[in-house]
Amino acid sequence: MRLHALLSLASLLPSALAVFADDAYHVDYHHALLGLPQQHTSFFQQPYAGSKAALIYTLSDKLVLGAVNPKDGHIVWRQSLASSDAIKSWLRAGQGQDTVVAAVGSHVTAWSAADGRLVWSAESLSGPVQDLEIIEIEDSEVSAGPKDVLVLFNASTPVVSRLDGKTGQVKWSFEDESGDAPLQVLASGAGIHYVSLHTTLLGGLKIKVVSLDQSTGHKTDQYSLSSESDLSSVDSILFVGANSASPILAWTDKFSRALKVNIVGTKSVASLDIEGKDGVGIDTISLHAPLATNSMPHFLVQIQTAQSHWADVYHIDLKRSLISKAYSLPRVAGKGAFATSTVDANVYFTRITADEVTVVSSVSHGILGRWPLKATAVPDLSDQPYPVSAVSEVVSRSGSAQAVRSAVLFSNGEWALIRNGEVTWSRPEALAGVTAAIWAELPETESLADQLEIESHGNILAAYIHRVKRHAGDLQYLPGWLQKLPSRILANFSGGSTRRPLDGLQKDSFGFRKLIVVATEKGRMAALNAGGSGKILWSMDTVPLTAEEKWTPQLRTSSGGAIAVHDQARGLSLLIDAATGKLLPVDPHVNSAFRHPSTGAAVVSYSLAEGEVRAHTPGQENPIPLWRFLPATDESILDITPRPADDPVASIGKVLGDRRVLYKYLNPNLVLVTAVHRTASTLSVYLLDSTSGDVLYTASHSGVDVTRKITSAISENWFTYSYTLDVSSSSLSRGHQLVVAELYESAIPDDRGPLDTAANYSSFQPAAAPGDVAKPHVVSQTFQISEEISKMSVTQTRQGITSRQLLAVLPESNSIVGIPRNVIDPRRPVGRDPTPAEVTEGLVRYSPVVDFDPKWYLNHKREVFGIVGLITSPSLLESTSLIFAYGLDLFGTRVTPSFSFDVLGKDFNKLQMLATVVALFVGVMFVAPLVRRKQINSRWQIT
Amino acid sequence: MRLPTTILLPFLPILTLAADLILQIHPSQHVPNPSLLPPTTHATLHASGPPATAYLTRANTFEFRNLTTGSYLLNVHCRDVVFEGLRVDVGGVGAVGEEEGDEQEEGVKEVGGKEKGELVQVWQTFRGNEWDNKGEVRGVGRGRVAAEVRAVAGKEYYQERSGFSVLSFLKSPMILMALFSLGLIVGMPYLMENMDPETRAEFEEMQKKSPLASANNPAAQLQNFDLASWMAGKSTGADEGENGGSSQVRRR
Repeated sequence: MRLHALLSLASLLPSALAVFADDAYHVDYHHALLGLPQQHTSFFQQPYAGSKAALIYTLSDKLVLGAVNPKDGHIVWRQSLASSDAIKSWLRAGQGQDTVVAAVGSHVTAWSAADGRLVWSAESLSGPVQDLEIIEIEDSEVSAGPKDVLVLFNASTPVVSRLDGKTGQVKWSFEDESGDAPLQVLASGAGIHYVSLHTTLLGGLKIKVVSLDQSTGHKTDQYSLSSESDLSSVDSILFVGANSASPILAWTDKFSRALKVNIVGTKSVASLDIEGKDGVGIDTISLHAPLATNSMPHFLVQIQTAQSHWADVYHIDLKRSLISKAYSLPRVAGKGAFATSTVDANVYFTRITADEVTVVSSVSHGILGRWPLKATAVPDLSDQPYPVSAVSEVVSRSGSAQAVRSAVLFSNGEWALIRNGEVTWSRPEALAGVTAAIWAELPETESLADQLEIESHGNILAAYIHRVKRHAGDLQYLPGWLQKLPSRILANFSGGSTRRPLDGLQKDSFGFRKLIVVATEKGRMAALNAGGSGKILWSMDTVPLTAEEKWTPQLRTSSGGAIAVHDQARGLSLLIDAATGKLLPVDPHVNSAFRHPSTGAAVVSYSLAEGEVRAHTPGQENPIPLWRFLPATDESILDITPRPADDPVASIGKVLGDRRVLYKYLNPNLVLVTAVHRTASTLSVYLLDSTSGDVLYTASHSGVDVTRKITSAISENWFTYSYTLDVSSSSLSRGHQLVVAELYESAIPDDRGPLDTAANYSSFQPAAAPGDVAKPHVVSQTFQISEEISKMSVTQTRQGITSRQLLAVLPESNSIVGIPRNVIDPRRPVGRDPTPAEVTEGLVRYSPVVDFDPKWYLNHKREVFGIVGLITSPSLLESTSLIFAYGLDLFGTRVTPSFSFDVLGKDFNKLQMLATVVALFVGVMFVAPLVRRKQINSRWQIT
Repeated sequence: MRLPTTILLPFLPILTLAADLILQIHPSQHVPNPSLLPPTTHATLHASGPPATAYLTRANTFEFRNLTTGSYLLNVHCRDVVFEGLRVDVGGVGAVGEEEGDEQEEGVKEVGGKEKGELVQVWQTFRGNEWDNKGEVRGVGRGRVAAEVRAVAGKEYYQERSGFSVLSFLKSPMILMALFSLGLIVGMPYLMENMDPETRAEFEEMQKKSPLASANNPAAQLQNFDLASWMAGKSTGADEGENGGSSQVRRR
C-alpha cells in the first residue's frame, strides 16, 4: 500500500515545482525571531565546558528559548515552549554545564546548550513553577556530573524539589505546610534556603527563610525577618540573590525611601538610604548582583527617575555581615541599563546609556573602558530609543577592560549586540507577534496610477494635455537612463551581476517590490520592503498598551499609498503613509469605509454576531438583518471565509479533454461557513450566497476532532477545508483530512444550467427557478494529509491565468507548503485509470493520500515558527504571486505555480545565446559561398 | 502546547497503571547519524484534543510518559527526514489476549522495572488505510516500552536547474538523427566511389526501381505538382515538359 502511495506520488512528481537551489535564500526572506528577551532569562554562556565561544541564551516573553550567536546575531537553535498555563518563565545554566534548564508553567525542561536537543523534562504534579535554581556548590557525596536543579512549585502546599541534573528525577522534596506564599529558593554557598512570605494580621508581609539540608531536604533552621512594617506587596521585593557567594534579600519600604537588605543566613536587616536627587520621585529601583558563586560579594543598586538615573555600588563584608556603600556612579540624564559580568572573582558593571557604554569594576569607581554608542540601524519614528535591559561579557586584561560586548534590549524592541560601542547586529524582536499585515504599493507606482486615473476621468483635451505634459516631464530621466544603458547591458551579459541591489524604494518592472505594513500585538507598526529581502523600513509604537493587552487592528489600503488602521476595541482610526510611516489626517469618510470590511463595495455586508451570521445593508447604523444564518441545532460557527474581493478569473469554464466545457460557478458573493457540533464531534460546512443568504451547498463530517484546527479557503469556483479525525470516530481511518470541492453551473458539459438563456440575473433571488436547479453542481474529494493545517490561503496573480496553489501553514513542521491545484483536483477519477481525454486534462487516478512533497515547501530548509496569517498579492508578472506569512516569524517569498513562463530564469544564459547567434552567423558566412558555387555548378556543369 | 506531557513520578506507588513509551531512532540509510537531526524534530501522539509532544532527546529518542488508555496515532515531524507513522495502543484495546500471546514469542522489550503497567503495543500504520490495518509490530510491552521508529525517506527540497551540458545536448534524439543524416550525406559519395563497378551498377538499378525515385511516387508527384497545367487539364504532360526544358538547357 505504501508502494502504491509512493507510486502515485511519483506520478505527480513532474508537476511539482520546487524552490531552485540558487533561488533559495535569495528570493525568500525570513526574520527568525524570538520575542523580547527578558533580563532574568538572558545570559552569555559557553555551550559546553571548555568551549571558546559563548552563545547568548534567552527565554523570551513569547516563551521561545533560543541560542543566538553573538558574532552575527543568527539563531543557533530555538524551541517554542509556549504553554497555556505559563505565567512566568525561568532559564538557568550552571557554570561549565552543557545544558540550560528552563521552566515554563508547570514544566521543567533541560536542553542541550550546543544543539538544542532535549536532555530531560519533568512536569510537576504539584503546580506551576515558582522558582528555579541550579545547585552550583555540590555537597561532598555527589561527584562530578550535571549539576542538580532546585525547583519551587507553587501549589496548595508549596514544594521544593531537588531534581537530578542528569535525568530530571526528583531526589528529594520538601513540602511547606505553613500556608505561607512561596517566593523563591536559594542555592548558594550558604546552603539551600526557601523563602516564603507570611501575611500578618495587619496586612504586612513577613519574610520567612527556611534552611534546608542539601542532601536530604530536611528542614534544618527557620527564621523570620521583621519586614511586616515596610513590606506590603510582593512587587517591592527587588532581589533575591541566587548563586552568589552571599545571597541577599532586598526590598524597599513603602515610599521607596530606603532599601532594606538582608544577607541570607543572618537575621539582621541593613537599611540603606536612597536619596532622591533633584526632588523627583523615584520610578524604579533595581538591584544588579553577580550570579557566580566565586565572585566578590558586591552589588549595584540602580535608581531611575523620570529624567535621570544613577547607581550605587555596595560591598558586603562576609565576616562581619556588614553592608557598606563603596562608591556611586554619576547621575546621567535619560534612561540606562546595567549589566553585571564576572571574570574569575572580579565583578564588572557595564553601564549602557542612550549614548555611551562604560565599564567599571565593582572594586573602585575608576572607569575601565568608555565607548561612545552609535545609533541603532532601524529608523524609529517614535521617540529616541533607550536601553531597557542588557547582558554583557567583559574581556579584561591587567586591570583595564579590553573589550565589552553587551546584548542590549532597546525600548523600540531592537535587541542589539554592542561591541565596544558599535552595533554589531540588531534583531527586530519587536516584530515577534504580528497580528495583522497588509500589502501596500510603492509610492511611485501609486502616483502613476493616480495620474492615469486623472487622465481617464478628465475630458479628452485636458487628458491629452495632461499626458503630453507628463511625458515631457518624464523626458528629464532620459539622459540618465541613456547613460546607464551601456552598463546595464554589460551587466546583463556578464551573468552574475544582473542582480541589482534591491534596497531602494524605486519600483521595478516586475512588481516584486511592494511594501508590507504589519501591526504587532504590542501596539507597534512597521513596514517591510518585500522586494528588498524584507528589510524593515520604519517601525514605530502606535498604541500604548498594557502588558496583558493584545492589539489586533484591522488594516485596509486607502488611497494615495496610505494604510488605514482601525481598532474596533479602542474606537481608534489612523491613517499611515506606508512608505514613511507618517501619520496622516483621517478623513471621516475613510473611517466609515471601515464598517464593512468583509465586502467592500458589495451590496450586503455581513458579520458573525451572537453565534449567527447576520447581513445588513452597508452604511446603516443599527440595521435589522437582511438575512440571518443559523447553523443546525447545537452547532457553533467557527469561522466565515468569504471569497476574496479581488479574485480575477481568466476562464469561465474548464475545457475537458474532449473539447467540451464545464462551466464554472463563479459567484463573487460566496461565503464558506464552518460550524462544529461539540458533543457529537461533527463538522458542518455551509456555502452561502452572501447577497441572498441562500445556502448553496452543505456538507457534514462526523468523527471530527472539534478541538483541533479547522481551516478553510475559498477562491474562484472551489473551496477547501481541513480537519483532524477523532479517536472516537466511526470513520475507519485516522489522521488529518483535506476536502476540496469545485462548483460548476451544471454537471453536464457544454451546459450552463438554468441561467443559460437568462438575460437578467438577480443576486437576491438566485434560486428563482423552482427547485435546486440554480444551485451549483459540486464535485468534491477528500484527501488524507500527513499533518494538521493551521491556516490556508490561495495564491493570487494579476489576471488569474496562472493556475492557483493552495498555501497551507503546517504548524507541526514549522513550514508553509504550496499544494498544486492539479494534485487536489476533485475530478480525479476514482477507482479507475484516467481515460486518454482525462490524461490530457492532467488528471491522475485518485489516491486517498496526498503526501506533501518536500519540493512544495516554500520555506525549504528554513523553519518558520508560530505563523498565524498568510497574505498573498499579485505581482506585475502574471506568473508570479507574492506571499508573506506572519506571526512569531516573518517570512516572505514569491511563487510561480505554473513556472515562470513570462520571465527569463536564471538558467537562461545570455552569453550562450549570443555565442550561438555568432556561431550560426559564422556558419552561414562559411556555407553561403559553398552553396552558391554548388548552385552555379549544378546549372553550368555538364554531368 | 509544545511541551512534552511527561511526568514526575517520585512518590507515586509503582502499582499505578502507567505506560511510558520510548521511541528510538536507529542509524539507517536515510538517517546515517541520528545525532545530526535538527533539534526541532519532535513526535506527536494524537488521540483527540491537543496531541502530546515529545522532543528529540540527546539519546535520539522521544519519550512519552504516563500515557492513558487509548489508541494513538504517532507522527514524527522532522525537517530533514520523513518518518513512518505508527499506531500506539495503550491498555486493553483490541485483541489484547492475542497480543499477549505474541509477546512471549517475540520477546518483550521492557526497559524499566515497571512490570505492572498498561499494555503498550506499537505497530506500523499506513495513512489512508483503515485504522485496523496494522503493519509490522514495532514494540510490545508493559510499563516502560521501547519501540523503534524508522525513517522512510530523506527530504529533498531543492530543484536543480537543468543547465546546458554538451553531453545531454548530443544525447537528444533530434541531434542524433541530424548527426546520422549528416553522416550519410557526407559519407555516401565516398561509399559509392569505393564500390566496385558491378555493385554500383546494381545499386543504381535498384535506386531507379525504388518507388521513391519513380515518377509514380505520390510524394514526388506532390512536390512537382504544376498547378497551371493541372488547371489546363494536362495531367501527364507536365513531367515531360519539365524534362524537356531541362534537356534543352543541357543542350545549349
